[in-house]
Amino acid sequence: MSLLELKNVSKIYGDLKALDNVNVHVDKGEWVAIMGPSGSGKSTMMNIIGCMDKPTLGEVLLDGVDIAKESSKKLTDIRRDKIGLIFQQFHMVNYLTAVENVMVSQYYHSMPDEQEALEALGRVGLRERAHHLPSQLSGGEQQRVCVARALINHPELILADEPTGNLDEANENIVLDLFAQLHAEGTTLIVVTHDPEVADAAQRTIVLEHGKVAREVINEHFDEQQKDWLARLKPENKR
Amino acid sequence: MLIALLSIGIGATILAGLVTIYVDVPRQMGAQFRSFGANMLILSDDGMAKDQMDKALESIPADQLVGAAPYRYIRVDMTTRQQSFTAAGTDFDQITKTSPYFSVEGRYPEKSREVLVGKEIAETIGIRAGSSMELTWQPTAGNTEGDPSEDRQPGAVLTGSAEGWSGGTVYVTVKLDDSAKIASLTIDAGTQTPEIGGLAQTDEAFTRQFIGKDLPLKLEEDVDALSGATVTSTAVVEALNTAHNTQSAVAAKTIKYTVTGILTTGGEEESYVFMNLEDMAALTGNDAVDVVELSVSASAEELETYAEQITENADGVRARLVKRVTRSETAVLGKLQSLVFLVTAVVLILTMICVSTTMMAVVSERRREIGLRKALGASDRSIRTEFLGEGMFLGLLGGVLGAILGFVFAQVVSVNVFGSSITFQPLLIPAAVIVSMGVAALSCLQPIKRAVAIDPAIVLKDE
Repeated sequence: MSLLELKNVSKIYGDLKALDNVNVHVDKGEWVAIMGPSGSGKSTMMNIIGCMDKPTLGEVLLDGVDIAKESSKKLTDIRRDKIGLIFQQFHMVNYLTAVENVMVSQYYHSMPDEQEALEALGRVGLRERAHHLPSQLSGGEQQRVCVARALINHPELILADEPTGNLDEANENIVLDLFAQLHAEGTTLIVVTHDPEVADAAQRTIVLEHGKVAREVINEHFDEQQKDWLARLKPENKR
Repeated sequence: MLIALLSIGIGATILAGLVTIYVDVPRQMGAQFRSFGANMLILSDDGMAKDQMDKALESIPADQLVGAAPYRYIRVDMTTRQQSFTAAGTDFDQITKTSPYFSVEGRYPEKSREVLVGKEIAETIGIRAGSSMELTWQPTAGNTEGDPSEDRQPGAVLTGSAEGWSGGTVYVTVKLDDSAKIASLTIDAGTQTPEIGGLAQTDEAFTRQFIGKDLPLKLEEDVDALSGATVTSTAVVEALNTAHNTQSAVAAKTIKYTVTGILTTGGEEESYVFMNLEDMAALTGNDAVDVVELSVSASAEELETYAEQITENADGVRARLVKRVTRSETAVLGKLQSLVFLVTAVVLILTMICVSTTMMAVVSERRREIGLRKALGASDRSIRTEFLGEGMFLGLLGGVLGAILGFVFAQVVSVNVFGSSITFQPLLIPAAVIVSMGVAALSCLQPIKRAVAIDPAIVLKDE
């Protein structure tokens, strides 16, 4: 069952076609990577999927709703209710502690609930760092806070923009472990990246070039990888 | 943020300070103006008794009445110097309040039989503080007060008139000695034929025969007629008898006073002798007052109302304003208040610009955070509410801060400029807070517009 479907989507800036008649579909629970060099239309696609921009032409069906036709106010509502965002730059509010940063997301969604926010931090292994300010956290820790923030409202879709772009390998693995865990729980993941290793972690990779889908690659080893990851993850979780 | 708070705080400080001064200025300046003298007069046509005066004063709130100085004016003679002055009976305690510009060399009289002498008189007759002077009150024309039963008192001066030759009037003034006999006599026969009846005025033999006689007199029995002027002589005797019978004369009185001080005012008061009302009553046997000078610390409209009330309520007296004083007061106050108002408006605008600029800087500084909040699902409305809330909170803090500092500021200004402290206006705190919050909210409008316009997609782009 498809969660997201882009039908003949184009985004045109003057003479430039950032996206040119793109067709993409993502099923519920799928883990998809989007790759491509700069200028290939990754960001534009990300903005459109993240309900922060609208296509010039075409339909974007998210959970059956054509977001291309909605007002920006409605788009804000959809984004808040259905999408969890993870950014390359983390984007934490620097005067709020880790748990408060998670609660900001709750605040705009429904009601801040510190207990729930602490639990979400527990899931990313940062329970004991909950009351630290971003400046007291490492990059990897900040990104894990952002993962916790993205999943706190139980979104249908987690949209990650270069989530490991600013992380070292160890932290990259931690984040990918978290993604594997989320995938195992049935969360739909779309990860925009230019890192082949990150893309390889996904079930399927969509490669964009010059605003078009150049090719799609299915990860045939995904199930084995997933098994390995989960095996690695379990003792860590119990720790 | 701190800068915005500071600017609101300072804005509110100046605002609160100026408003305090604005509110307090009429009182302050009013008090200053009160040093220029009385601004209201209570008058009476035929003398005002003490209770009439007290009743009139009831119309003015006690806290606004700076002073009320009663005055009564009479003519007195200083026989030893053949000088005659205006004597003013008054209340020296009140004079210091209504006429603080009076400058006394020496001191104000404190006890009875002490007088204050105007500089002009002092120079004319050459007396100083500490000298003494004898003043005589003559119950002559104009000094009509007095009790007829005091007639024929020792030392009384009587006047009378009668019709003489061909309708001309003959006047006499007679002074009685201690045993009520005629001590001296002045005859005014200017209307009579000069070389016949007119001689009554100058013929010593004629006038001398009256001295030592008791009134009333009979012509030919007690005194002889002036030869050839029977009509005029009859008129003189008649005039004397009229004086004796009908003149409600009071004995002339002479009292010795000690001069306690010399008064300099730069005005006509320098030619007056001032004494206590009680002393004047002792001299003239009458304690009525001609006029009360009031110094009232009130606006022109209030003064007008009080004046009307006094004129309506108290019978026999009427109040009027010293327009010269009240008008200039109103004019100066109006100018001062509009100046303060103008400065306040300018300060408010400056505060607004400053806060707006700061908030603008805050918004661009927090662009990413705002973008993030929007990406996380913050609606335009919640962004607006947050910033407005922040602005209002700044306004609240600044307002409270400003109200307190403003009072201090106003106090300092007041002490330095007006030389008096001001009363704290409790209403000022809510007023300053509300105005500050309003200014803060207005200043936030443009920054909020900009915050709302931030594209959440900025969080996805690389730096």
